[in-house]
Amino acid sequence: MDGCRPSNPSSGSCADVNADWTTLMARAQKGDRRAYATLLQDLAPYIRSLSRRYFGAETDVEDSLQDVLLTMHGIRYTYDPCRPFGPWIVAIARRRFVDRLRRGGRIRAREVPLTGHLETLAAPNSMGHHVDLDRAVLHAAIQALPAAQRRAVELLRLRELSLREASAESGIKQGALRVALHRAIRSLRQALAMR
Amino acid sequence: MTGTDDLIRAIVADARPVRRLASPFLRAAEWLGFALIVVTVVTVSFGLRDDLAAKLSEPVFVLELVAVGLTAITVALAAFCLSLPDRSRFWLLLPVPAVLVWLSTVGYGCLTNWIALGPGGPATAISPRCFATAVLTSVPLAALLLRMLRHAGPTRPIETAMAGALAIAALTTGGLRLFHDLDPTVVVLGWSFGTTLTFTAMGGLFITKGSERRVLR
Repeated sequence: MDGCRPSNPSSGSCADVNADWTTLMARAQKGDRRAYATLLQDLAPYIRSLSRRYFGAETDVEDSLQDVLLTMHGIRYTYDPCRPFGPWIVAIARRRFVDRLRRGGRIRAREVPLTGHLETLAAPNSMGHHVDLDRAVLHAAIQALPAAQRRAVELLRLRELSLREASAESGIKQGALRVALHRAIRSLRQALAMR
Repeated sequence: MTGTDDLIRAIVADARPVRRLASPFLRAAEWLGFALIVVTVVTVSFGLRDDLAAKLSEPVFVLELVAVGLTAITVALAAFCLSLPDRSRFWLLLPVPAVLVWLSTVGYGCLTNWIALGPGGPATAISPRCFATAVLTSVPLAALLLRMLRHAGPTRPIETAMAGALAIAALTTGGLRLFHDLDPTVVVLGWSFGTTLTFTAMGGLFITKGSERRVLR
């Protein structure tokens, strides 16, 4: 142990078990794979129980446990066997749990989960009647536009030509096409909103 | 859970011997030794300020240098302790007295400058030479510190980066006070903090991501 005895952790009654963890970790740092495997197998249920205080879903519990194990493995050289093992691993675990909670909070604040409801709406033929109705209304609104605007919509939106292609085909300048399309979309938006 | 068992097997298969970190006190002393060399080299290169002897007879200047030195030592020690997961977060309080004394001398310097120069004085002047020396001092210190503290990424990146930036800022400012005859200490302090915070933030981000990649590889 490089001149120091493994000390007992501050955390509670299972001091002997944690002293064993200290010894196992010290051996793992020297490359003893058997000791490392024993330590990780022993630690997994303990960290899982800690994780359950932070997370409700079992998948989060398991993911956070794996995160802690990976982090511990990555910085195992920072452990000093002269100091108790318990506070070291608990500090790592808590930090990873808190980071995970923060990340989850950010994701929940910015993203909307895809649900079956949305998939149903997006599926072809699921809303066929309304699609046909909307198509007819949109077609009528386009037909009601002035000729230049209708031409711009047909070329740039319905046929999806580029500005250059549309200009070459119609003989209208690109700037005039862009203005006509802008006005057409504004008119369509108003017409459909009034409906 | 099968996934966790598989992960444990993969981790164990990757378990090579590792060299333990030395005591944070020893590592802080190593970094401060390197910092002393850098500041000395830069000081010799640029030359000591002409009025250093006269300035050393001013109690406020001496107090500022002592406070800067103590800040650098205590905050470097705090950074190395904070970088370890099981060390107390209260290490961050260790440099507070020295920082307060340092900032109070900065405030005193500003006040005397303001009285001497008046409100229309050159309050924001900065010389390119001053900036160059700040960069030359802080960049090597930041690079080494980031390398030595990279393990803090998954546990305490912000606290460690803050302490590290303050340590570099203190050393850079201390160096500048020795070889620059400019006295607008807020400007010097601002440039020192700005430069070091920028480098530390960039490095901290890089190290946090690098550390995550290394762990997940």
